[in-house]
Amino acid sequence: MASGALTRERDVREAYAAHAAELYGFAVRSLADSGLAEEAVQETFLRAWRAGERFDPEIGSLRTWLFAILRNVVIDLGRARAARPRVAEGGIEPSTEPFDDALLSWQIEEAMRRIGEQHRQVLVETYYRGRPYAEVAAELGVPEGTVKSRVYYGLRALRVVLEEMGYED
Amino acid sequence: MKTESCRERREVLGAYALGQLPDEERASLEAHMEGCAACRAEADSLIAVSRLLPHADPERFGPAPVPPPELGKRIAATISAEQRTRGRRRRFRLGLAFSGATAAVAAAVLAIFVLSSGGGPGPEQHVSFRSLPQGVKIAATLEPQAFGTEIHMYVKGIRSGTLCAVFMRGPAGDDISAGTFRYRWGGDASAVLSAALDLSRAKALVVHAGTRTFVAPIDAGSTTLRNQTQEEEPT
Repeated sequence: MASGALTRERDVREAYAAHAAELYGFAVRSLADSGLAEEAVQETFLRAWRAGERFDPEIGSLRTWLFAILRNVVIDLGRARAARPRVAEGGIEPSTEPFDDALLSWQIEEAMRRIGEQHRQVLVETYYRGRPYAEVAAELGVPEGTVKSRVYYGLRALRVVLEEMGYED
Repeated sequence: MKTESCRERREVLGAYALGQLPDEERASLEAHMEGCAACRAEADSLIAVSRLLPHADPERFGPAPVPPPELGKRIAATISAEQRTRGRRRRFRLGLAFSGATAAVAAAVLAIFVLSSGGGPGPEQHVSFRSLPQGVKIAATLEPQAFGTEIHMYVKGIRSGTLCAVFMRGPAGDDISAGTFRYRWGGDASAVLSAALDLSRAKALVVHAGTRTFVAPIDAGSTTLRNQTQEEEPT
C-alpha cells in the first residue's frame, strides 16, 4: 500500500474536513443544483477512497486529485442530466462554461471571499466597477492614498490566498 | 536595492498592476523600477495576479454555499458499509484459499466462517412497501449477515435526485442507519445497503425519501412478506 494513500476511513474524514467545502462550493457553482452538488461531492469522496491506493502525494496535492475526480463526476452528472427530462430547480441554469474555465473562475472568486472585506471592497469598486480612486476614497471617508494602498495589499492578499489554496497555473 | 523610496512606491504598485495609475505617476514608477529589481519583481507578480481578475464574477463574491452537515456523515456511513462488505468478501476469499490446504484445516476454517456468520446465511426476506403514492414503488430484500443485515433496495417513480435514507427499526423502536442512496432516472434503481442490526431483531424497515417517510414492518417469522406500509408524518 502506497504511503500517503487515501485508503483508511480516517484519511477520508481528514480529506473531507480539509476540502469538502471547496469541492461543494465549486460543484454548486458548476451544477447550479445543491442536490446534485451534494451527490457530486459524495461520489468524489467515494471514488477517491475506492481508488485511494493510487493517490500519490509525490505526484500532486490531494486537493488537485480530488478536483480531478470531481471533474469526472461533474461530467458524468452533466451527461446523465442531458439524457433525461429536465428537472427545474430554483430556475437556475447549470453552468455551460467548460470545466476548467469554471474552476479557474471559482478559485478566483473563492480567493476574493477569503481576503479582508476592506481589500475586496476597493478591488470591486476600482477594478470591477471602474470607479475613480477619488470617488471611492470620498465614499469611504479615507484619503485616496489609503485606497491605493488597500488595492496593493488586496492584490498581495489575493496572491497569498491563491497560493494557500494550491492554485496552479 | 530596497530603500525608503521603495516602501512609498510599493503602495501604488497595486494601482499600477491594474493599469489604474495616472500617466505621470506611472512614468515615475517605471523610471524607478528601471534601477530597482525588487520593485520590478513585485510589480510583475501583482500583474500576474491582476490578470486573473477578469475570470471572476464580482456578483459571486458573496458567502459560498456550505455543504450540509449530514453530507460528511453520509459519506462516512457509505464508506463504512462498503468497508464491511469488502471485509466480508475478504473473509470469504480467505476461506476459499484455506480450503486448498488440508481437509482438516479447511473444515476448521469453514466452521469458523459459519460460526462468525451467525450459523450461516438465513433466508432472505422480501419487503414490499404498500400504500405508496401512485407510480411509486419501493421494495427491499433483506439478507441476514454476520455483521447484521444486508438490504437490497429497489425504488422507482420518485423524483430523480431524491435522497433516500434507509433505517432498520430495532426492538426498542430505535432506528439504526443502513446508509443512503440517491434515486436517479435512467440509472440503476437498486442500491445495496447494510445495517448493524440482526434481521431477527428488526421490527421495521424505514425509508426517508426526500421529506416523506415510509415504514414497512418486518416479520422475522416469515420468509416472504407483503407488508402494509404506513406513511409517517414528514420529519
